[in-house]
Amino acid sequence: MRIKLHSIMVEDQEKALAFYTRVLGFAKKHDVPAGPFRWITVVSPDGPEDLELVLEPNANPAAKTFQQAMFAQGIPLAAFEVADIAAEVARLETKRVAFTQKPVRMGPVTIAVFSDTCGNLIQLYQPG
Amino acid sequence: MPRVERDLFQRLCRARELLGDHDESLTIREVAARVSVSRFHFIRRFEELFGATPNQFRTQRRIERAQELLARGEHSVTETCMRVGFTSLGSFSALFTRRVGSSPSDYRRRMRVLVALPGLLTAVRAPSCFGLMAHLPPGAFRNPREA
Repeated sequence: MRIKLHSIMVEDQEKALAFYTRVLGFAKKHDVPAGPFRWITVVSPDGPEDLELVLEPNANPAAKTFQQAMFAQGIPLAAFEVADIAAEVARLETKRVAFTQKPVRMGPVTIAVFSDTCGNLIQLYQPG
Repeated sequence: MPRVERDLFQRLCRARELLGDHDESLTIREVAARVSVSRFHFIRRFEELFGATPNQFRTQRRIERAQELLARGEHSVTETCMRVGFTSLGSFSALFTRRVGSSPSDYRRRMRVLVALPGLLTAVRAPSCFGLMAHLPPGAFRNPREA
């Protein structure tokens, strides 16, 4: 048993695909029509190559309620590791990404939080 | 630098609630006033945070609400149009068709068939994420290193 797929709910799959590829820099792995929705996954060029992030359609009202509440409480729903958080934040800010938490040292990591414009807060962290 | 301070973040989240409240019919200017942010600043920062302008966000919420009402089949297309906040049936139908891919009446007819089968409507309108994997072609998960 291994971890292969992780999903994140998004309000608009097309917009999410654009954000996660063009803005964050991930690569599209799958994009398959699935009824009224699509099965979309992206992978990080920094690896691991077979760990996929699923951009899940947020069609379920229960999911919307959960997602909106977590957002309003400032709680990220995913965390991505970076080697140089200051450089990554600077790069994303040039692409007009909205950060709700500027880089701050918290114990063994430095973290920052941004909005993915699809209903989620995402945490970046740099170990060490 | 698009950094959203904590206080502004909370105001924008409150504005999103107001815009998504179907019982409220506030103008964008009124929503901005409710959360004490200037209209220009409100629109710009809202879009940075949520990826849509307040007006785009509200329109999308109205379309989603219309889908819910039409799927239940308790209201006509005209009633649905009015209930979700549109004043022109023509504009509503055109926008709904563009966003959803079928006209409101076609959508209502298609979803009504599913209401008779408990659980099926929910499964079609809000499928389990990983259930969508069933649509993948054979070999989709084949590891390239094993080729």
